[in-house]
Amino acid sequence: MTDDILQLESVTMTWDAGESGGRTVLDGVDLALARGQAVALVGRSGSGKSTLLHVAAGIAVPTAGRVRLAGHDLSVAGEEARTRLRREHVGLVFQFFHLLPHLSLRENVAVPGWIAGDDGGRTRRRADDLLARVGLGDRAGDAVGRLSGGEMQRVALCRALLRGPALVLADEPTGSLDDRTGREVMDLLLELTRAEGGALLYVTHSPELAARADRTWRLVDGRLLPGAAA
Amino acid sequence: MISYLRRGLAQHLRHSRTLLALTVLGVALGVASVVAIQTLNQGSLLAFDGSVRAISGQADLSVTGTLPTLPESLLPVVLGDRDVAGAWPLVRANVAVTGRPDLNLDIIGFDVFAPVRYPLQDVAATGDDAARRDPFASLHQALVQPGWVAITPELAAQEGWRVGDVIRASSGSRAVDLTVGALVDFRRFEPLAPRRLAVMDIAQAQELFGRPGRIQQVDVVLRKGADAADAAARLQAALGPGVRVQTPEQRRQDASALLAAFRLNLTALSLISVFVGVFLVLTAVQASLVRRRREFGLLRSLGATRAQVMGLVLGEAAALGALGVALGIPLGWLAARHNLQAVSATLTSIYVTEGIDRLTLPAPVVALGAAVGMLGALAGAALPAWDLARRDPLRLLSPLSVHEAAGRAAGRLALAAGALAAAGSLWFFTLGREMRLGGFLYGLVMMLALPLLVPLVVRTACGWARPGRFGPALSLRNLQARLQATGFAVAALAITVSMMFGITILVGSFRQTLVTWLDVTIRADVYISSESWQRTGNDAFLDPALLDTLRAWPGVVSLEEQRRLRVLAVDGRPVWLNGLRLTDRPLPGVPQADLAGRLPMMAGEPRAAVAALRAGSVLIGEPLARKARLGVGDTLRLAGPAGAVALPIAGVTYDYTSEGGTAFVAMDVLNARFDAAPPNNAALFLAPGTDVERTVDALKNALAGRPLVIRSNRTLRAEVLAVFDQTFAVTRTLQAMALLIAALGVSVTLLIQAHERAGELALLRALGATRRQVFGLFLGEGAAMGALGLLLGLGGGLGLAALLILVINRTWFGWTIRPAWPGTALAGQALVVLAVAALAAVYPASRARLARPGQLTRDDL
Repeated sequence: MTDDILQLESVTMTWDAGESGGRTVLDGVDLALARGQAVALVGRSGSGKSTLLHVAAGIAVPTAGRVRLAGHDLSVAGEEARTRLRREHVGLVFQFFHLLPHLSLRENVAVPGWIAGDDGGRTRRRADDLLARVGLGDRAGDAVGRLSGGEMQRVALCRALLRGPALVLADEPTGSLDDRTGREVMDLLLELTRAEGGALLYVTHSPELAARADRTWRLVDGRLLPGAAA
Repeated sequence: MISYLRRGLAQHLRHSRTLLALTVLGVALGVASVVAIQTLNQGSLLAFDGSVRAISGQADLSVTGTLPTLPESLLPVVLGDRDVAGAWPLVRANVAVTGRPDLNLDIIGFDVFAPVRYPLQDVAATGDDAARRDPFASLHQALVQPGWVAITPELAAQEGWRVGDVIRASSGSRAVDLTVGALVDFRRFEPLAPRRLAVMDIAQAQELFGRPGRIQQVDVVLRKGADAADAAARLQAALGPGVRVQTPEQRRQDASALLAAFRLNLTALSLISVFVGVFLVLTAVQASLVRRRREFGLLRSLGATRAQVMGLVLGEAAALGALGVALGIPLGWLAARHNLQAVSATLTSIYVTEGIDRLTLPAPVVALGAAVGMLGALAGAALPAWDLARRDPLRLLSPLSVHEAAGRAAGRLALAAGALAAAGSLWFFTLGREMRLGGFLYGLVMMLALPLLVPLVVRTACGWARPGRFGPALSLRNLQARLQATGFAVAALAITVSMMFGITILVGSFRQTLVTWLDVTIRADVYISSESWQRTGNDAFLDPALLDTLRAWPGVVSLEEQRRLRVLAVDGRPVWLNGLRLTDRPLPGVPQADLAGRLPMMAGEPRAAVAALRAGSVLIGEPLARKARLGVGDTLRLAGPAGAVALPIAGVTYDYTSEGGTAFVAMDVLNARFDAAPPNNAALFLAPGTDVERTVDALKNALAGRPLVIRSNRTLRAEVLAVFDQTFAVTRTLQAMALLIAALGVSVTLLIQAHERAGELALLRALGATRRQVFGLFLGEGAAMGALGLLLGLGGGLGLAALLILVINRTWFGWTIRPAWPGTALAGQALVVLAVAALAAVYPASRARLARPGQLTRDDL
């Protein structure tokens, strides 16, 4: 038994002929991520970065190979089991925030707690606490439509961290933000993930942001190659 | 543009099959409810019309009495008129077929030598082989063979009767044997002729039915070029006040007026389904436009005018409407057939002797159904089409926040609802109340105001929801967030629930009122009438010897005779005149026999009223008092055989036996001033301690073979209530159809949501929501729509019930109904609405649950 929260062993993902002409997106990928570790994933567009995150989150099932999340083998788990494992162990951050426009900041953050059936009061306090930590505590009841892009991504970070996931997966979390805001958001992401004791795997195009991880991997033609260590 | 419309529609059909199918089904149900009701309405008129045409099809005028029968001695007077080319008397009798409680024959006795082409002379062409060989043999047999009758081949086939068979029938307590002498297809010359029509020689008919020298009608053919109106006026003057001279068309109009309230109510109910259907189309078209706004933005950018874009949208709606019409008309036909028996039974129980025994789908009804479907679809599409067309291309190309717009407009729409309701109320209470259609128009205004309240109510109710978990509160918030779409579905449900609750409260209140009224009026222990009385009333007499037998029956302490006679008021209004045989002797131990204790007086004092009845006064029923604006102290003027009969009104009673006029006089007054004949029914009061049901059984055994209906108090009450329940059977079908349309609205809305919210659902799935949870979320949204529809519908239903009970019912039917709260029925319906709304969400929910967590795109959310 290792301390790794995520292990990918010889993971191969081939889109069937109907979708991408039988293209192999991930080709024998091996990856391990320990608790508390931050790993950046870089690569050109279409290199399979998002697919790798999907596989890691149990959203997609690899064509071959094994994915272990918190000791559970996602490769053989059913859809329902993968969903529950994702709910319990993974926090997700998206490039385009994906906040629910009809809910307030606090409610957006609380959604994973609602889904998991957590105690409502505790979820609310936790959401308020996280929002305060990202500087949005006084706006917890506001509608998300009034937020800037950076603020939205901060709310999304809080949502990802609400249930203290062991693994945070972030798909180009700064991709929709300007450089300065992107740096601020990345600071928060790293700081909060580390403070919560979770591992972080994030995709970025920015060498500067990638350099802030404990380790960087590059995806080239579906193969995972080591990048520069921090 | 036409070719673009065609291609666009084809593509739309491919991509949104289920959505469009549900929308088409909604339109079809709206069309079906209108077609069903109009087919039944037409059927009820055509039933009468068919009788009139089959019997008097060749007549220019018909002479009938203000009382049911006329002396045949007036025939020479008719024939003496200078413009009369021919006239022939008719006897009409409605007889019950023994052993078949639901089968009556409408017998026409006619002069086989009348100078007109009568059906019997058609035997040669349509009858059996023997008749075909020698048609005059049939005419001869008609005269000499007792009980000879010609019936329709259709009835013969239905009952398995053949020429030579004997049909046991009855008129009042008189049993008659009819012999099938020929089969005559009356429809060869009158397609609407009723199946139950039968003809026989007039002299035989008079003899068999015990009215020698009396006839029901004289049909008149005028000389070529004669003016019918002049001849009618001259004949009227010559024949005196006891007759009416009318064209067949005038008689049809009379029947039409008699059924007006019944038909209008059903029509109004069916239109509610159309109204609900319009909301369904609106929802579907709007969703389609939101989805395709960029396509339309592009078209506008490429030079399409606003009118062209609007034309495209309306063209698609028209195509949907056409499909809905194509499906709705046959569906309506089936619904009409399904309700035929109940409506026909209601007609014959309450209104006319002619039940509907066949349905036709007349071209005007098809045209009406088509117009309703097309206009409904276009009306539903008009608002979103206009909204789309007025936007500039850039706004169409950018994401629209229509739901926010709806939310912002909620306050203004509610204000508009308030203003509309206030203006409607002001109009109604100042002017509209006096108008016959005022109540309906007021109800329509209120139903139009109700949907305008929906956005505010949904916004407010859902705004209170504080989601603390993945459950109903979140469903409510989702509804609030998509007010533009959910609002229409909730509005459709609210209108449907208003209609359901309004009618249920009306029916429940009416039933309760009826039960109370029965408690007061139905106090005798045993009721005796004849099998044919229910249908004809007038001439279904009880044999005097039978009455003597009953009077002497062990345990009987009093026999109350009653006779019902259809007469006309001098203003032409039909009145059921009831003759009561009043006894002077008080009966110790049988207080219920005291008539004063059984008069549910609305105005006047019971004892004084009974005393006044003895002195020749009249009591009138509430509907007559309201419709003729008569009260205590006024005079009821009826057309008697020798002129107007003026009867002072001594009281007004609550009366639910007829929506027309009912009046009560002493039997002596009826016999002396109108028409002397035996009673139609009898009520027995038994000595205290006598077993009623045993007495009924004993009477049935002793009188077995006599065409009598002997019922205990309990049975009669149950039958009255069964007729009442049957009367509202068709409204239950209409309620179900409207609810189905509203449920389709929920399905369509949520199906659209499942599509539009694919990103949100993918996000929830990515965040760990299971498929079951997403399914539950949608189910919750369906139930929440149901709950909101219920909330609004409860208010609308209470208002509608008040309007139906206090205004429309009084104006059109003239009954006082005491409001009651049928809590159990309403609770049951509320549960049905919630269950139907949740069920309607099942399919969309099953689609929503398939959302894949990996399908989030940049445009989502």
